[in-house]
Order: sequence, then structure tokens, then C-alpha cells
Amino acid sequence: MSRQLTFSIFRYNPNDPSSAPRMQEYTLNESTGMTIFVALNQIREEQDPSLNFDFVCRAAICGSCAMVINGRPRLACKTLTKDFKDTITLMPLPVFKLVGDLAVDTGTWFRHMSLKTESWIHTNKKFDPIAQEDRMDNEVALNIYESERCIECGCCIAGCATANIREEFLGAAGINRVGRFMVDPRDERSDMEYFEVIGSDEGAFGCMGLMACDDNCPMGLPLQLQLAFVRRKITMAGLKS
Amino acid sequence: MQSSLFSTYGYARRLLIKIITKGESHASTEVTHKNPRAELYYDIVELFTGLTLVGFLWTHMIFVSTILLGTEVYDILAAGLDDYYLSYIGIPFIIIVAIMHVLSAGRRIPTRYQEQKVIWRHAKMLKGTDTWVWIFQVITGVSILALGAIHVFVVLAQWPIDAAISTERMTAFWWFYLVLLLLGEYHAGFGIYRQFVKWGWFPRRPLGFVCKVITTIILGLGFAASGYLMHWEVPYEQLSDYNH
Ligand code: HEM
Ligand code: SF4
Ligand code: SF4
Ligand code: FES
Repeated sequence: MSRQLTFSIFRYNPNDPSSAPRMQEYTLNESTGMTIFVALNQIREEQDPSLNFDFVCRAAICGSCAMVINGRPRLACKTLTKDFKDTITLMPLPVFKLVGDLAVDTGTWFRHMSLKTESWIHTNKKFDPIAQEDRMDNEVALNIYESERCIECGCCIAGCATANIREEFLGAAGINRVGRFMVDPRDERSDMEYFEVIGSDEGAFGCMGLMACDDNCPMGLPLQLQLAFVRRKITMAGLKS
Repeated sequence: MQSSLFSTYGYARRLLIKIITKGESHASTEVTHKNPRAELYYDIVELFTGLTLVGFLWTHMIFVSTILLGTEVYDILAAGLDDYYLSYIGIPFIIIVAIMHVLSAGRRIPTRYQEQKVIWRHAKMLKGTDTWVWIFQVITGVSILALGAIHVFVVLAQWPIDAAISTERMTAFWWFYLVLLLLGEYHAGFGIYRQFVKWGWFPRRPLGFVCKVITTIILGLGFAASGYLMHWEVPYEQLSDYNH
């Protein structure tokens, strides 16, 4: 006998003046291996075609299906219904602009963050398409890869109290991004240049160390250690120059 | 009431910003003229004052618990700190460090009503996160500021310290000390944990465990010391005048 699940879902269309924010309930039978993503699609197909939510890859790769599931920011496609009691509450991620119901616009935020942190390799070397690529230590490569695993889902931002109060705060995703370039030997930015990017309350010093980011990252990035690493580096940079 | 407390606080904080930025920070030129390292200095001040205060609190509790070795030991230690002027250097030093700590760590307290509302809503919606730990950190911080000031004032009013006077105070105000002990150790225990989390090389779980163990030991010492003080029968000739 399969369980009957009740979904309590946030509904609001900011583009419709007659729409007011409310919670709406849906019931459906749980199937084996059901994820929140599967359940939402079933609701949309069978009960309510107007329900808004995002997804692309349904395999924890694209980062578009993040939402607040029973009080925690999670990926809908990676979260199994069997881990919860009979009632599941779904809210859109805070901080980001609401598109409608559960869909939020994380793209604008992350684009802003990428520009702010100048997320590209800064180098004076001329690119030679024929030459062999420079070699890199395996350890360094793995280090870079570890932070590159971020899928820009926004869970760390939504869970972060600081990001909720301060619009400019770059959050764990932003600090992690800077850390990624700091360990990359191809990036020729000086300590002071990094300091300018992130040596303020918008960046490394705004973080209060509450670790909601570390708790919530669906990719399991080592955000605590990465944040502390950047904090120490940036502090030394600020003190030296 | 809460918001007026916070805005007094906001004033003191702006004063500190002025000092740190050497007065360069005026509202309209905030962005262009602000000392670019102000927030770095803030964070460093927060770190070192925090560590110093936790160190003080733990040392202090170890000193208080020398009472367990007997009232003579307690009296000799208290007199020794007094004779060598350690109290006269130490107490003002700690008071200054405490003020700097309040101003630097407190810069994160949401001063605007709007921000406070966001924090509450956030903590309620995202249940079970460390946000609550932080809210308690603010509440305990503000409380021990008040309680600690009263305590220091009372101790200084009956200077010097000896076991007989401490016993009187402890017997009369044990409930006050119980609250101060619990809030103070909570604040210190989580405070040092979070500083290590923010700056350190060690993962959180073992760190949290170590901090909890130390806090438990210190709390145990505190309970034992206050229990000892309260049960000690002060010899008649050592009773202070106002108790006769
Ligand atoms: C700055 C100078 C300070 C001095 C000289 C001092 C001295 C003492 C003494 C002698 C006692 C034993 C009871 C008594 O005689 O009243 C005591 C107890 C206590 N003090 Fe302080 N104290 C100082 C600051 C602080 C601060 C800033 C805090 C907390 C933020 C604090 C927290 C406590 C607590 C919790 C107890 C109770 C200990 C127990 O339960 O055994 N003290 N202090
Ligand atoms: S540790 Fe820092 S970045 Fe992470 S949730 Fe807390 S304040 Fe935000
Ligand atoms: S760091 Fe983790 S939680 Fe934050 S955006 Fe990247 S994958 Fe998502
Ligand atoms: S749909 Fe791509 S991460 Fe969930």
C-alpha cells in the first residue's frame, strides 16, 4: 500500500495583480523512488497545469530545481519523498527574484556574482592555439575541480542569513568562486586585486560563520574549509599591502 | 524597546567606524572615501577580542574554582593578584577588550527593524539551522554585557576579594550567578567554536565536540565553586560589617 502524500505549495504570480501569496494543498499517492521533482510533475500533469517550477536536467547537474523543502533548501530532483512524513511543504528559495510559485531567477544573481568576482582567468599571456597546454599538478587540478563542482543552484545563498539581509553579499558560492581562482596558477591577479574583489563585508568578512551554506550544499562542497581558506588569504593580503 | 537598544548601539558603532576610518566615512562619500580595509580590521578585532575574552572567562573560572582547594588558597590567590597589581591592569584591560568586542562583533546585529524581521522570518522558515545559534548568540551577548557590568561593579564595590565576601555574594545572589554562568559559558563556547570555524583548518564536528567538552568542564567547575562558596560556614570574625 502506498502512502498518500500531502503537498503544501506556495502559490503566487507576481505578474498578476489579482494574485495573492497563499499556500495550496495537493494530495497524491507516493510511488517507489519518488522524488519531489517527480511528484511536482505529476501534480502539474494531473491536477494543476498552472503550477510553476523549474527543472532541466533532473539529475543534480543544472541546479535549476532548488527550492525550500520542509524548511531546507534542496534540489527537488535529488530529494526523495520517502525521507519525509506525510506532509511536505514547498517554498521558493528566498533572496532570489520570484518568477512565480516555486520558480525563482537564480541566473541574474549568479551572473552578477560572476561579474563581481571577475570569474575568468586574468593573464597577460597571449593565447597560442597550436602550442601544447601548460602542465598542471594533479593536486592543483583536483583542488580547482573541487570548487568547480558548484552547480549554481543557490541553496547556500538561500539558507544564509547574511545573504538574506544584505543584498550585496556574495555568499558562499561567491567566496568559493574567488577561492577557485586563487589556487589556479594561471590566474595572475595579485593579492591586492583579490582583496578589492572580496576583502569587505560584501565578501569574506560579511560571513558570520553560521554554516547554513555548508549544511545545505547539495553537491557537498567543502564550503567551511573553503571559506576559512579565503578569509585567511584575504586577511594576509590586506595586511601585507 | 529592542529597537531603541539597537539604535543606541548603532550610534556607538558609527563612532567606531569614524575612529577606524579616521573620520573619512561620511554618508555621501561612504563609497569613495571609505578606508578599504575597515572591514578587514573589524574582523581581526572581532577575532582577537573574542579569543581574549574566552581566554579570560576560562581563566577566571579556574581562578574562582581554586576555592575547591580550600578558602586559604582562594584568599592567597586573590591577595596575590591584588598585591602584584594584576587586578588593576587586568580589569581595565578586560573592560576595554569587552567594549571593542561588542562594537566589532556587534556590527553584524541587524540594526534596522526591516532586517530584524527578515532574520526572524528566515529563522522560522529554515528551521534547524545555525541561524538560531546566532540569534541566541546575540541575545546572550547583550545579556552578559548587562549582567557582567553589574557583576564587575558589585565585586569592585566590595574590593578586595576574599572567600568570606564571595560567600556572602554567592549566597545572596546565587540566581544571578547561575544565569550569568550559563549565558556566559554558552556565549563563550559557541563563540570560540565559530571563530575557529571561520578562520581555522579543522572541520566543524570535531571542533564542536572539543568546545562542548571544555564548556562542560568549565560549567562543572563553576557549579562546584558556587556550591562550595554557598555551603562554606564563614567564621564569625570574617563576616563583613554590614552582615553583623
Ligand atoms: C573584570 C573583572 C572580574 C572580576 C574581578 C571577577 C571576579 C569574580 C569573583 C571573585 C567571582 C566569585 C563570586 C564573587 O566573588 O562574586 C566571580 C564569579 C563569576 N564571574 Fe566574575 N569577575 C570579573 C568579570 C566577569 C565577567 C566579564 C564575566 C562574564 C561575562 C564574569 C562571570 C562570572 C560568573 C559566571 C561567575 C560565577 C562563577 C560560578 O558560578 O562559580 N565575571 N567573578
Ligand atoms: S557561513 Fe557565511 S556564507 Fe555560509 S551561510 Fe553562514 S554567513 Fe552565509
Ligand atoms: S556552493 Fe553548493 S549550494 Fe552553493 S550554489 Fe554551488 S552547489 Fe549550490
Ligand atoms: S533539475 Fe537540474 S539540478 Fe535538479
